[in-house]
Formats: sequence, structure tokens, C-alpha cells
Amino acid sequence: MARVVEAPASSAASSFRRRPWVRRAGPLVLLVVLVALPLMLPEGANDTLARIGVFAVAVLGLNVVMGYTGQVSLGQIFFLGLGAYVTAYGVTNDWNIVLVFVLACLVPAVVGLVVALAAARLGGLAIAMVTIALPIVGVPLAKRLSDYTGGSQGLSARFTDAPEGTGLYDDQWQLYLVFLIGGTVFLLTRNLVRGRYGRAFAIVKGNENVASSMGISPYRYKVLAFTIASLIGGVSGFLYMVVVQYTSPETMSFGHSIELLVAMVIGGAASIVGSILGGAFYVVVPDLTNAIDPSLTALLQGALLLVVLFLLPGGLASLPRALTRGRRRSRAGRGPAAPPTTPSSTTGSGTAAEEPETERQGHA
Amino acid sequence: MTLLELEGVTASYGPVQVLDGVSLRVPDNGAVGILGANGAGKTTTLRAISGTVRAGGRIVFDGKDIRGLRPDRVAALGIAHVPEGRGTLGDLTVRENLRVGAYLRKDAKGVAQDIDYCLDLFPNLQNRIRSNASALSGGEQQMLAVARAIMSKPRLLLLDEASLGLAPSTAKNVYDAIRRLRIESGIAMVVVEQNANLAFTLVDSATVLETGRNVLTGTSAELRGMDEIRRAYLGG
Amino acid sequence: MRKHLRSRRALGIAVASAVAITLPGCAREVGGGGDGGSGGEASPGITDDSITLGITTPLSGATAGPGTCTVAGITAYFGAKNAEGGVEFGDGKTRTVEIEALDDAYDPQQAAANYDQLKDEVFAMTAGLGTPTNRAWRDAAIADEVPQVLIMTGDPLFSDAEESPWQLGFVPIYQNEGEAFGELLASSGQDHKVAILSQNDDYGEGYVEGFTSAIEGADNIEVVEQLTYEATDTSVDAQITQLAASGADVVFNAMSQVPLVVSALQKAQQLNWKPSWFLPSNTSSPGAVLEPGGGAAFPGIYSVSFAKAPASPAFAEDEDVKAYLAALPQYGNYPDPPAFPHCQWSWMVGATLEQAFSEMTEPTRENFMEALRSIEDFQAPLMLPDTTVNTTEDGQPAVSTVVVQKYNGRGYDTVESFE
Repeated sequence: MARVVEAPASSAASSFRRRPWVRRAGPLVLLVVLVALPLMLPEGANDTLARIGVFAVAVLGLNVVMGYTGQVSLGQIFFLGLGAYVTAYGVTNDWNIVLVFVLACLVPAVVGLVVALAAARLGGLAIAMVTIALPIVGVPLAKRLSDYTGGSQGLSARFTDAPEGTGLYDDQWQLYLVFLIGGTVFLLTRNLVRGRYGRAFAIVKGNENVASSMGISPYRYKVLAFTIASLIGGVSGFLYMVVVQYTSPETMSFGHSIELLVAMVIGGAASIVGSILGGAFYVVVPDLTNAIDPSLTALLQGALLLVVLFLLPGGLASLPRALTRGRRRSRAGRGPAAPPTTPSSTTGSGTAAEEPETERQGHA
Repeated sequence: MTLLELEGVTASYGPVQVLDGVSLRVPDNGAVGILGANGAGKTTTLRAISGTVRAGGRIVFDGKDIRGLRPDRVAALGIAHVPEGRGTLGDLTVRENLRVGAYLRKDAKGVAQDIDYCLDLFPNLQNRIRSNASALSGGEQQMLAVARAIMSKPRLLLLDEASLGLAPSTAKNVYDAIRRLRIESGIAMVVVEQNANLAFTLVDSATVLETGRNVLTGTSAELRGMDEIRRAYLGG
Repeated sequence: MRKHLRSRRALGIAVASAVAITLPGCAREVGGGGDGGSGGEASPGITDDSITLGITTPLSGATAGPGTCTVAGITAYFGAKNAEGGVEFGDGKTRTVEIEALDDAYDPQQAAANYDQLKDEVFAMTAGLGTPTNRAWRDAAIADEVPQVLIMTGDPLFSDAEESPWQLGFVPIYQNEGEAFGELLASSGQDHKVAILSQNDDYGEGYVEGFTSAIEGADNIEVVEQLTYEATDTSVDAQITQLAASGADVVFNAMSQVPLVVSALQKAQQLNWKPSWFLPSNTSSPGAVLEPGGGAAFPGIYSVSFAKAPASPAFAEDEDVKAYLAALPQYGNYPDPPAFPHCQWSWMVGATLEQAFSEMTEPTRENFMEALRSIEDFQAPLMLPDTTVNTTEDGQPAVSTVVVQKYNGRGYDTVESFE
């Protein structure tokens, strides 16, 4: 459920990751792959990866408020839509693109803050109820404010064609933008949830009374988590425009909010990797079911959802953990598994706890 | 010197008046018991102190009026509440729960030392360090709840029915450990307990509540000698 | 425009094929698949003996019903043709026509993804339903020079050849429908007081715009009251009550929600208000709207159409209808009687495409667009008399003529005048 504050000490995977060369080389290899990938993949794969990036960011935002802090939010798609509309409006009015990006983050964040200030006070399921209202109000509102939103016909904005002189194709350029912006968001969020704030989120999720008795205001942290989730939703909206280049009221219809929720659970709640897997699930599964039988997509998607949840209740991100656990169990049978970290070990429980602490997923 | 002072504290749940003028004085390093029947207002008195119920009257901690402060603010001042029913974080391991207790502290080294101290105080926890809190026995959960409160390095510990639901021998173990903590750390305590015999092993003085009022206050020795106390709370 | 001749290194191919396994259908031939464009070189999706068409349309979700029809009609049409050997093209070759349909669930993002997936393997995109879902990849289709034609949207943007050189809508735009009724009313020779109730979005505005332009300058028509409602409203009782008080004898009701139309008809009867009604083509079904709404109680209920209703006894012996009803279950994977007019429209799209193919002298997308844009007064099967396909008029979709029909208690009859 909550994130771990401690490494599952003797897991093979984490001891591998704790080897110094892996720690140093890992990010470097990842970086090289991210730079090289768009140049090497065919256009279709680049498009798919870019869309996965868009929804991975949206799922990540949802994870902050729901996976890590335990507050049910059914309105995440609204913030994606809001970010997309702000972007489309700014681009069509020829605003500076950096300003557009900042606004696409800030406007959803401010709206999220205002909503959270009211909703978090109510507590319990009230937040969920309020968040349901967001996309339900958002769709007719977007149709109504046609001077800004283009009404039900939506807004197109093509602003991410590869600049002359880069020698890149549009799909490559767009994927780089997604990697850069999305990657930054993932990095910042990872640091957030693994630091003090993340621990506070986990405590609020675990037990609000305990949080209070530890000097953590549940209200403040719920508002904070919701605001951050809204901001990240806005970023995903900006990326949506980078990749899809079109937004309409349908973009933020309530059904998509549920799909994001499903993607989060399938990927793995309270997991960074799970957010990426969730984004991939959101994007790839409709393509996959279309390839099997376009007239049975809804049925196939439902079946797939059930299969994953039965086999991996912790989501796709729990797969390696489920495997290592099995291995650890068999190893434990051979002899007493000496834990590499003891409470007073010299590595200090602090670093050992902070580092490989992977993610622990749970049933949202 | 007085660390905590309650004077004429009132509180109610809806229309039901639960506290009707409770007074209490806890000196530095002191331990005071609150005795009384079910519904006398013992737990509510602790909640009034920790800010989890709205209270009237005067509640002064270390010279500062804390009545009306939010619970997290009260906690930040150094008052740790171990609520009835423990409230451990079941999905976190024992070690994680202990680290949670130290959330507001920034001295990583001190935290590590205190974890070791807690495990020394409650050796049962040492064996379960990597277990999820939800897998612990009732007694272990109670120990964990106390240990977690200690991790915040409080100046005042509010203990609510630490023996509730425990086998007598386990309850004694828990109180033995808390007494050792008191002696070694000097943390002041307010102890709510149904089992007055257990409470008297720990506290210097106590007050007896009845329908939200103090009816009797005295040192442990004084109270232990009183017939009515013996009849009502000491099972004899 | 964009050339897709990419030289990528061998490593790239290796990674691409690895990704092709994990992301089915996304990979395409590296360095392959040019967009064609100029010269006689064949565009993607066409060979000497076959041509492939792509459709992205809702096959799941709330709009799955009409969406499924948009695939069934054209699939049945070309299925029947293929069974006869194929379709004869203007270059003298006979080709079979294959349909690749993908589900977009009415999600613009998914529609764009489906387009990306199909664009290199199909010759043209066609027949898909939905304004946002078609808008989502319109810019991309223009940039890639992929035809996006005979699609099911009332959005006029797709029929503006300047703005949308690679697009063409099929069904009449909202304005066409409102205009047809306005003209009929203006020429009735009697005085009419009209009450207007319209959905507060581009749908309602389109209808009202067409209607008002047709009655402009007609002395016999007076609009006495004009109200709107939101697409999300659950009741229009208040509006109907207010309109009834206006004493109007004709209601122009530009409403897209079936349950609301039913309750509007019922409310008017409750108030004992019996005007004549105009209803849009998609909310005037005899079975789904007029019977539950008690349409027979009113002096006249008018709507517009350009397709024969296959269920109507009047067309029971019609050759077009018989061929259509036989092909739909056999080739269109649609076993039930067609529940939405989109099935008929999609069938007509097939016929219109065949018409364009017969004029196509080169196997290129450009040549196809030219051929498609030069169809004049083509009477597609299932079309009502006095309606035709005409692609030469800029700003208009392929079908812009509709006839006004009046409810006869069971179905609709075409009328020449307002009675």
C-alpha cells in the first residue's frame, strides 16, 4: 500500500542495484537509450512512445494523490484537459511557448488547489465526489465557452513540428520533447515521493490520526498532494497537445478518468515504474485489442484488466518483486538469509532505507 | 516546575457533555494517572490535551496555552499521544513505523540511536523488525505504538489504556518497559488506565474522574490506601 | 511535404523489430512507404488488384451503435462487389476493396493513433463518425496528404476545400437541414408564428442558422420566442411551458437528445398545446421518438432525410433496399435490421467511392481526390428522389440536398409543401 521506508533487504534485485557500477552506469545507459531511441525507431513506434509518455505523466499525477496519499480522485482527466486547452489557446494566440508551458502547469495547479482547499476539509469520500464533478462539469463548460475552447469542435494547434536545422522528423522532435518534459516531471516526482514529503503522504494514507499525532497535518498534505497531481495533470495536457495537437470536450470526458484510474491500478499504485507501465497500458491496450478484433475492444479490455488484477493484484510493477520474493523464499529454505542491513550497520539505516527502496505497490 | 496544567477543561460530543471541568497538573518528569469508570472522561481528557477534540477551559503546556491548537501543532510541541487501539500503520514494517515516529526530527544519527534504544526496550520488536505491523500480536502492536511515540522524542507522553485487551503477563511486560523508559529518559506521562494496580506501578499521583469531573486526587500511596479506590478499581 | 525515406542504421532496424513485437502494428518498414503524391507512382494501399480503405470510428462506448453502422454499410457494399469480382477503376483495372476498421471509442486521441497506424497501409480514410474524432487528425492528414473523405460529421470545416484540401464530408451539415425546413415553411402561403428551441452548442446553432437564413425576408413567418437548453439538461419542461405561452403554431426543435425530444412532445400534449414540429434527422425516428412521444397527436411532425427508410413499407419492394438488406448481414457482419441511418449512409459512401474509382486514371491519392471532387448529381442507391451526391460545390458536403418529410402515423412521406 504505502511506500516503503526501508529496503526489502535481501532482495536479489536491490542488491544488484546496490552495486556501485550499476548505480553509476544505470542512469547513463538510460540517458543514452532515451537519446538514441527516437532516431532509430520507425515513426509509428515513436508516435506510440510519445503517447505513452503523455499518459504516463497523467497517471503519475494520479499516483501522487491516490497511490501515495490515498485520496480517491476521479477528476485527473479534467486537469489534463485543462492543460491541453490552456496550451491550445495560448498557441493559437501566438503566446511565447515557455509562457504557454508555465500557464499550462499553473492554471490546473491553481484550480486544483482551490478545489482541494474546499474538498480536503470534507474528508473521506467527499474528495472523490467533488473530483467526479470536475470532468462532468468540464465537458459542458468546454462546449459552452466556445470563444476560448472552440466549442464542441475543439481546438487544433500544430506547434511541435521539428524546427528547421535540427534535421529531425516531427515524430522524433515530439518524442524528444516528451522525454525531456516528462522525464523531468518523473525525476522531480520520484525525489518528492522518496523524501520527507513522500513519507508524510504515506503516513496520511496509512492513518490520519497517527499523522496528526506525529505532527503532520493531514489536511495540508492532502491539499499539497492534490495540487501537485493537478499540476502534473496540466503538464500531461501540454504534452497531449505536443503529441495529439488537438483537444476537444471529448478529451476530458469522465470515462477517460476511469481509464486513467484503471491504468494506475494496473501499472501499480504508489509506484514510479508503475506509472510508466500504466501509461503504456492506457495506450497500447486499445491498439492491441483493435489488432485482435475492433468490434470487441471493450470486452477484450475488460478481460485483460481482470486477468492482470487476478495474477498481479499489485499491478504490473509488482511483477519483479513477486518473482524475487519467490526466489528469496527458495533461498531462505537453504539457510538463514543474513540481511545485509542490520539496524546498526555502518551504511546507516538512512541511506539503506532511502536508496533502493523501490516501490511497494498495493491495492488501491 | 509544572509541565502541563489543565484547569476547568470541558468538552462535549454533540449535545453530550463529557468533560465538565477537569483539572490536572503534571510536573516535569512526573507521571500522573487518570482513573475512573468507563465513560468517566479519561480518554476525552487525553484527546483534549492532544487537540483531537475541541475543548474549553485552560490547557497550558510548558507555559504556553495549547487549547484549540490543531493536533499536528500540539504534536510538534513535544506531546506524543498513544491512542487507545494503538493506530499502528499496518502496511508498514516495524522499522518503518519507528521511522514514521521520527518524522519531524532531522538528526539522522539520533534517530538511528533511538531506534536501537526502542528495540532494546522492547526486544519482541527486534525479532519482528521487518514484519508488517499488521502481522504483529496485540501486545507487540501496543509496544510498537509506544515505541513510535518515543521516536518523536516527546517531552510528554499520553498513554491511553496500554493494557487493553492484553494478557496480564503481556500487560505487565509493557508496563515494565514503560517504567524503565520513565526512569531512563525522564519523559513526563499522563497515563489513562482501567487497571489501577498496573497504573500505580508507574505513576506518582493520580486523579479519579466521575462523569467528567475530578472526584479524588492524591499520590499513589494515598490512593492505594483508600477503601473506595480499592473497591472500585483494585478488585478488592 | 514530408518524405519518409529514412536511412536508419542496422541497429535501428534491430531495435525496431524488437519494438515491433512489443508494440504490434506500430512498426513500419524502415525506409519504405513514401506518400506518393506526384507522378504515376502508386500511393500506399493500392495494387493492381486491390485497394485498402481505412476507417476509424466508435465501435465501443456510447456512440458504438451508429459507429458500427458506419463500418457495416460500406463493408457490405464492397463485400457484395468483391463477390462479383471487384470494382472497375478508371485505369481499366479491376480491384477488390478491403476495409480496415479500427475502434476509437469516440476518443480523439485514439482516433489520431488509429490514423497514424493506418496511414501507411491504406489508400484513403473514409466513413468514420464524429466531429472531434475526425478533427483530431485532420491536420495530420493534410500534412501527410492522406484523403479523409466521405466522413460522417456535420462540421462544415471538412467541406471547405481551401481549408481542408484532403477532406470531404458526406452527410448534410446542420445548416442544410434547417434551411430545407425554413424554405418549405416560407413558401406555405400562410402566416406562421414560430417558436425555436435549440441545443446551446454548434449543433443547435447550425440548425437555427440554416433556418433563419431561409426565412429571411419572408413576411409570413414571425419568430415569437427563441430558447435554448444545455446538452446535459435532463428536462426541457420549463422551456416547453414558456414556448406554449407564446401561442406559436410551429416549433423548430433543434435537439439532439432522443429522451428530451420524447419528453418535449409529451409535455406539449400535457399543456394541450398542439403545434406543428420540426425535428432534426437524428431525433425523428418513428419507433424511438414519435411513438413514445405520441407524435400522432400533433397536426404535423416534419423532418428531413435523403435516405430511404428500409423499414418503411413504401420501400418494401424497392430493388435498392432489397439488395441492401440482403448484403448487410451477408457481407457487413450486421445480422439485425439496421437501427441507425448511418448504415444506409455508409452504403451510399461505398457507392460514391465506386463512382470516384471509376473516374480514377492513376493509382494515386491526388488523382483520387480529383475524381472524387468531380461527381455531379450522382443518384446513389438508397437515395430519395430529389436528393443527389454532388461534390463540385465548394463549402458543401457530398450530400447537401435533403427533402422534407412528414410523419404519417407510421413512417415518413416526402412532402412538397407545408400543410
